[in-house]
Amino acid sequence: MARATWIAVLAAGLAVGAFSLAVARDAPAYSYGGGSTFAGAAELVAGYALLAVGLTALGRRQARVGELLVAASFAWFLLEWNNPRTGSAFVFTVGLTLYVAAPPLVAHAVFAYPSGRLSGWPERVGVASAYAGAVIVLGLLAAALFDPAAEDCAQCPHNFLLVHGSRSAYADVNRVGVDLGLAWALLLALLAAAALVRANPVRRRVTAPVLAAGAAYLALVAAEFAHSTGRGFLDTDTLDRRLWLAQAGVLCALALAVASGWVRARRTRSEVARLVLELAESPPAGGLRDALASKLGDDTLELAYPVGDRLLDGRGRSARLAGEVTPLVQAGKEVALLSHRPGLLDDPALVEEVAAAARLALENERLQAETRFQLEELRASRMRIIEMGDAERRRLERDLHDGAQQRLVALALDLRLARSRLGVQPDPVELARVDEAEGQLRLALAELRELARGIFPAVLAEEGLTAALEALEEESPGRIGLTSVAASRVGSAAEAAAYFVVAETLRCDPAYRHDVAVAQQDGHLVVEVDGARPPASVVALQDRVGALDGSVRILSRGSGRVTVRAEIPCGS
Amino acid sequence: MRVVIADDEVLLREGLDRLLTEAGFDVVGKVGTAAELSRKVELTRPDVAVVDIRMPPTHTDEGLVAARELQETHPDVGVLVLSHYLESRYALRLLEEHPAGAGYLLKERVSDLAVLTDALARLHDGECVVDPTIVARLFDRAGPTGRLDELTVREREVLTLMAEGRSNRGICERLYLSPKTVEAHIKHIFMKLGVDQSVDDHRRVLAVLAYLRGRQAPQEA
Repeated sequence: MARATWIAVLAAGLAVGAFSLAVARDAPAYSYGGGSTFAGAAELVAGYALLAVGLTALGRRQARVGELLVAASFAWFLLEWNNPRTGSAFVFTVGLTLYVAAPPLVAHAVFAYPSGRLSGWPERVGVASAYAGAVIVLGLLAAALFDPAAEDCAQCPHNFLLVHGSRSAYADVNRVGVDLGLAWALLLALLAAAALVRANPVRRRVTAPVLAAGAAYLALVAAEFAHSTGRGFLDTDTLDRRLWLAQAGVLCALALAVASGWVRARRTRSEVARLVLELAESPPAGGLRDALASKLGDDTLELAYPVGDRLLDGRGRSARLAGEVTPLVQAGKEVALLSHRPGLLDDPALVEEVAAAARLALENERLQAETRFQLEELRASRMRIIEMGDAERRRLERDLHDGAQQRLVALALDLRLARSRLGVQPDPVELARVDEAEGQLRLALAELRELARGIFPAVLAEEGLTAALEALEEESPGRIGLTSVAASRVGSAAEAAAYFVVAETLRCDPAYRHDVAVAQQDGHLVVEVDGARPPASVVALQDRVGALDGSVRILSRGSGRVTVRAEIPCGS
Repeated sequence: MRVVIADDEVLLREGLDRLLTEAGFDVVGKVGTAAELSRKVELTRPDVAVVDIRMPPTHTDEGLVAARELQETHPDVGVLVLSHYLESRYALRLLEEHPAGAGYLLKERVSDLAVLTDALARLHDGECVVDPTIVARLFDRAGPTGRLDELTVREREVLTLMAEGRSNRGICERLYLSPKTVEAHIKHIFMKLGVDQSVDDHRRVLAVLAYLRGRQAPQEA
């Protein structure tokens, strides 16, 4: 709201208040607040308190609640304008029309607090019927029928809204209006009480004081209507004035309740701020979520950061928010999203306070989450590269068997058939050639088998790590002592990594007898191979194992001998 | 002898067909997949099926699986699995359930007619067949540990032939020994190695292989 408008509303409010009190004191018989200094003070305090919190709410971007409270403050004063001795036709007509406008406006503000929205249809129906009953029936309709002359009201100013004066119709409309008033005021008071009882703990903390004051006010309004049903119109007898005075008190309490919401937001801000300082000293990943959850009193709260087109939690994992989500905005940019219990962050002021107080921590954790996410992406990408490499090795191995080897075997068959064509008495030279060729073929096949095995042993993929290590032992007699192999089947990537740690260590020294131990501990495959020296391909092994978040270490065992120890996460 | 050949590689199928036909075998069927194999066996009732270990769709161990199924459904049909793999584990996978009439040879043996015909004849007789290279590797492996040092040279020869799946009669023929001598050797071997002698002929090969591998013998089916 523009500052000039704001000041104009403030000035108008103050003026209307002062003017109303002047009218009341001028003709105390027809007034509520004109009878005594105390009543006058109560009138001003209640109206100005509503004006003050209304204008403050406008300044804090609680626009709808602010507007309603400011309007209620004006309406509160306008009650006094329905006074035959105002001397002004304009003032009198406005008073005639709007003298009951305060209760619907207050009810509207109470139910719309703090978000500005009416949450359910019962509230909407209740507030709408209150407006209709108060402003249309008791206001416009009654004013259209009220002829001051016919009512023997000599001092009454002119009624601009008079359409057709009729004593009986006027009395009937008033009677209906009062009966309806009792109905809607009771309904609203009950709705406020019900909302107070039904609200979840988080929401109740925010709205309870306002709802309680609202319910009390509406109950007093209902009492006023109940008191008026006998006579059929609203009046200013002693009980009326007492009820009105009580309303003034309750409205002051309502204003205080609204103000206390801001105090609480401020206190939350300072708590969050203190917490952010604590977090800045040693920020655990995702700690901000826990901190906010405890400070805001909602353990279902989740915090997520929009990064690119993803949502990440504080640990850099993909996050999904469910339920009510409130964005935290800084400099026009959504830096984080909070999902929480319904109603927890209805108060936009509170959201701003949280966003402001946690600004640095949010930014910090968002960057951390982004970095962690990228790291995780990188790790996954390394993993994919290793897996693709393994798949490629496996494919090569199969191609060798299904392609080259099959052809060589077929060739051996052909040679065999050729040999039988040589006849019963073969030429020794020819026979020697065939023998030579067959010998070469056998060697080629054996070498091809070795080559394929070295690329990726089929037994590793098909039968698992234990079988592959046993095969390795069979293949290199006397070179491996499998001291313990305790591994059920784990992921193929982990098995391949463990296998190649052993196989590569074996390659570097053909004469050495290696002790090999494989164990499964705490979700890791732990492989230990001793050797005369570290494997030449230790960096490649570290890359392969590192891609799985594992580690390869070379431990010295003295006199140049080493133990290669790999720890490979395997998820079981 | 009636033979069915299962190999997805046409070149090999045809070559093997010609070779076996020339050697006097009656090739009654040639198929390229495991499913076709079981249909063909059902239809032609051969004496022996020669099965490549790698067949479609995954080209891993379909042949081995098909061979084991065949042993279940047609115990009277011998099965010879041709494999690229030297690992004794694959051979044991084939033999552990039904060693009788099951054989595991390296694929390149197909060009060695003597080995091939010998193997087919033995399978037809209900013996089992383990590739000599695999057995030799197991002996190499067991060698340095000293477990076989107590055996005489002759006893080692007998043990090798047992590991290859030969019956006592087969061992007699190979080593030109009398049945009594062979039985005595076998008794000595089992005593020296501490292997249970009560196992029947077909299970004997499993016990020997398990001993040589230095690992637990496969469980009785």
